[in-house]
Amino acid sequence: MSVGFIGAGQLAFALARGFTAAGVLAAHKITASSPDTDLPTVSGLRKIGVNFTVSNKDTVKSSDVLFLAVKPPIIPFILEEVGPDIEARHIVVSCAAGVTISSIEKKLSTFCPTPKVIRCMTNTPVIVREGATVYATGTHADVEDGKLLEQLMASVGFCTEVEEDLIDAVTGLSGSGPAYAFTALDALADGGVKMGLPRRLAVRLGAQALLGAAKMLLESEQHPGQLKDNVCSPGGATIHALHFLESGGFRSLLINAVEASCIRTRELQHLADQEEISPAAIKKTLLDKVKLESPSLSVASASKVSLFTSKSKKN
Amino acid sequence: GKVPASNILASAPSDKNLDAWRELGCRTTHCNLEVVHRSTLVFLATKPHILPGVLEEIRPAVGPHHTVVSLVAGVTIQTLQRLLPPWTKVLRIMPNLPCVVQAGAMVFSRGSNAGDEEAALLKSLLSSCGLCEEVPESYIDIHTGLSGSGVAYVYLFAEALAEGAVKMGMPGALASRIAAQTLLGAAKMLLETGEHPAKLRGDVCTPGGTTIYALHQLEKGALRATVMDAVEAATNRACDMAKD
Repeated sequence: MSVGFIGAGQLAFALARGFTAAGVLAAHKITASSPDTDLPTVSGLRKIGVNFTVSNKDTVKSSDVLFLAVKPPIIPFILEEVGPDIEARHIVVSCAAGVTISSIEKKLSTFCPTPKVIRCMTNTPVIVREGATVYATGTHADVEDGKLLEQLMASVGFCTEVEEDLIDAVTGLSGSGPAYAFTALDALADGGVKMGLPRRLAVRLGAQALLGAAKMLLESEQHPGQLKDNVCSPGGATIHALHFLESGGFRSLLINAVEASCIRTRELQHLADQEEISPAAIKKTLLDKVKLESPSLSVASASKVSLFTSKSKKN
Repeated sequence: GKVPASNILASAPSDKNLDAWRELGCRTTHCNLEVVHRSTLVFLATKPHILPGVLEEIRPAVGPHHTVVSLVAGVTIQTLQRLLPPWTKVLRIMPNLPCVVQAGAMVFSRGSNAGDEEAALLKSLLSSCGLCEEVPESYIDIHTGLSGSGVAYVYLFAEALAEGAVKMGMPGALASRIAAQTLLGAAKMLLETGEHPAKLRGDVCTPGGTTIYALHQLEKGALRATVMDAVEAATNRACDMAKD
């Protein structure tokens, strides 16, 4: 099986790193493409032995499983560009936040009658094989296709199938989640430093504390509230500290964060559905390269490309 | 039904409260010494500032056969033992208001001369009024903050729940009854299932449902921290008052 990544940024790099480290895929079976060769991740990908090309079409041709690992606004351009090369054998996996299966299927169906599409939401810790991934299968993707993806993603962390309408919530929780954790760790380290610890030690200990707690929770049948209680001896240090957290509305801040991320994801998708993205929002170099690869995109239509309809609108 | 009413003797300086006792079938008197002479288990239930005078009064009549149980807030076992004969069996208890409806929460501690027998007697008697547990004396002030004063926090919460319902259009009397029943039911589930409250809370929260939306509001208002502050304040106040 060969895997391709359209896009050679953080996500492609993280997944390629993870797959090769897990031994589920050899690096030479992976192809990644991007018109932008200056990305730091490009050299990273090359170093691990991934085939890198500037041609998205080449990636499609040499892959069975094709990951769309570009930012959401770029997706329509990509679909226009590589659509003609998509065959019934391809499994197209979109990792773009907020981009619906139906929008992708609609776009691809002008080129291929029964495109296999799977929508996926993962997170950066796939790089250390502790990712959190969910996926939903599209109309023409079979159970085996889903299982194939699940096998791949399970090699780099936890992976499970969900209904598509839950994916935005997953984005808010585990998609963005590592950022919340990094913020917390930075602050915990500050606390340690304030109380006299050297910074490196503080970071190391803070990270280990969160890692250990997460591991305990995953391996325990107990409710996190119970595990918390187990740490709090009466009148002790921990309960005093927790009181501070509660006073600051710690819990509600976290709820707010997950909610905000989920809502923003939906908003972006909604915006995408409603409006047209002007090419000004896309890097000029990227757009030029896309135009070069796809003579089917006429100059007139390139001035405004509607995200999820196959017809181009005039100014 | 632990003790026949006729075996209970209560004293008070005036008749103001004694009618209620007589109605239950208890005997009454205006003489504290009489209570001590005619009883083996003596409960001290005066206001804190009255107690020293009463102890001085009854001290001569207190003997080794007596068990003296103080319900007086803020008066330590040390103080009680100081004001009574040195061999007196003393216990200190802190109840709460719902003892009145046999749903109380009580903690008690022993003095130096009170043994297993006295503790067991007290516990067996008081279990008829609700939950009764023996604790180290240092927990008694905490019990005050948690449960003695705690009933007031619950009344406040019940009132607020009902007001919310009234705001949304429900008549007040009905809202109050439902609020009270909700608290009762939730407490009953906690006590009977023995599950962690966080788990029971999670069980009620359907994804994206009404409960989780409401809980978010409570968390935004830092309800948990506020409640912790309340328990802390009452406990500290109990400690301070005991020092006076």
